[in-house]
Amino acid sequence: MRKTLLLFTAITLAGSAQAQLPGLRKRGPAQPTQPALQPIDAMRAEFATQSGGTTVYYSAGNAVLGPPALTVLNAQAAWLRRHPEVVVRIEGYGDTGDTRDHALAIGARRAEEARSYLVLLGVPAMQILTTSWGKERPGLGRAVTILVR
Amino acid sequence: MKRISAPFLLALSAAAQAQQPAPSGVTVIAVPPLTSPDAGTKGNQMLAVGFDISRLVETDLRQTSELMPLPSKREDYYSYPEVTAPSFYKWRTLHAKAVLIGFVRSRSDGRLTVGCYIYDVDQGRELGRKGFVIAPSDWRLAAHKCSGLAYTSVTGSPGMFDTRIAYVAENGTGDGRSRRIAVMDSDGYNHRYLTAGDTMVLTPRLSPNASQLAYVSYASGRPNVRILNLDSKQERPLIPADSISFAPRYSPDGSKIVFSMMQGPNSDIYVVGASGGAPQRLTTAPGVDTDPSFSPDGSKIVFESDRGGSQQLYVMNADGSDERRMTFGGGWYAAPEWSPDGNLIAFTRRGQDGRRIGIVKPDGTGEQALTNGPGDEGPTWAASSREILFQRTNAAGRTALYRVTLVGGEPRAMSIPQDGSDPDWSGVVD
Repeated sequence: MRKTLLLFTAITLAGSAQAQLPGLRKRGPAQPTQPALQPIDAMRAEFATQSGGTTVYYSAGNAVLGPPALTVLNAQAAWLRRHPEVVVRIEGYGDTGDTRDHALAIGARRAEEARSYLVLLGVPAMQILTTSWGKERPGLGRAVTILVR
Repeated sequence: MKRISAPFLLALSAAAQAQQPAPSGVTVIAVPPLTSPDAGTKGNQMLAVGFDISRLVETDLRQTSELMPLPSKREDYYSYPEVTAPSFYKWRTLHAKAVLIGFVRSRSDGRLTVGCYIYDVDQGRELGRKGFVIAPSDWRLAAHKCSGLAYTSVTGSPGMFDTRIAYVAENGTGDGRSRRIAVMDSDGYNHRYLTAGDTMVLTPRLSPNASQLAYVSYASGRPNVRILNLDSKQERPLIPADSISFAPRYSPDGSKIVFSMMQGPNSDIYVVGASGGAPQRLTTAPGVDTDPSFSPDGSKIVFESDRGGSQQLYVMNADGSDERRMTFGGGWYAAPEWSPDGNLIAFTRRGQDGRRIGIVKPDGTGEQALTNGPGDEGPTWAASSREILFQRTNAAGRTALYRVTLVGGEPRAMSIPQDGSDPDWSGVVD
């Protein structure tokens, strides 16, 4: 309700401004300063090299982040804090010998643990999506952070 | 198996005779061609349909471990009045214990009336009958219903001939592997695809009468349960939230769906009305609770949980109360499904040497392995509660559907057009 009111006020002001000072309209509303947009592939390459890898590995059957995983995630968090304009999706995988639905849950859990740690390090939660591939795709026993935009 | 030598048949018949009426024995059943009251050309057409039906009944019954059908022969023709007053002498000399006879009659609207009758040969009395009206193209359905009548009359269990099987049809390899939900009659006929193959799909689960299908779709990028009406083809998400949801299964009366949902790192079991409503949470333990399955009376739910460190089977009341662990063996127990007669629970047991299918009583006793693995999982019961369908993955990663009977023996591969995983077998459609 408050937003609508503000917007209404803004329009009224703009209307009156236009009536009194026609020249102002030409410039249009102030453009927000855009960050220099890089192609997504270049961003992904930069993310992968500067964060020490996109992938964290788990030992079979659990979702516990070991020291190597924490090292990778620390670097990922630092990079993501510098790039608040990107959104990433963490895709968790289960283990090869597991049954289908348990693997799905473990994959989701692995993605969620990685996400929680990144949020703990100050990455906005809105910046990170999660999903799970269970054992339905090759690449078991890990969670991969993928830049989506 | 198609052709049985006479000595073998006689030996079996003798064994059946000696054991009769022991329910564990094999019952020899005669299936002469169905007759017709119609005359002339029409009559001949009806007799041809009747012969097709009796031969399909013979094929149906041959797939069971309880009935041994005698070959359907044209010379066993009988007249229409004999349908309700058959002579049993011939079947007694062939050591048959039961005979299935019937008729096909044309109707003025172009459809057919089919009647099936089953008789106890020794006692010369009727055990049951079934009549229905079908389109001529649905003669296979009529045969399956007659097979069900014969099977139920002899064994006391529902037949699984008029049932549907849903599974995930798989093509290609690696990330490019396409998956489509497919549904077919339990004999492999009437095969059709329900999803397009551009979206990852998992775990199709049919409603008890096979009119609806619950499955997991990645259409949103993450796994969500969706409901598909097989008649109207209309589809909707099971729950509005975008939480990760999976492992759906219908209650025995089809009114509810029980499933798993992620809340942060925790997977719990929920139940929701099949036509919508707010989900109700049933488990709260930390860890992965999943793969719930109702008991046939709807009062209990079996599920798997790793709350104790490794995956084990647990049973609770349908409202979530009184959770109790029911398996204590080594390795991991997963993917339980309660049998339609309520007496057993099938599961996947995972150990160092792979995955195999097993059964256990609901009180946790009487555990028995049904397959040797090493790549077996996802058991689903036949309506008869005497057979189980499951997924087998070979060393090369190819998946196929296999059937195994409770009495033992080697699992048999089902014939499907491509690789297949994650089967679900419906109840009797009727």
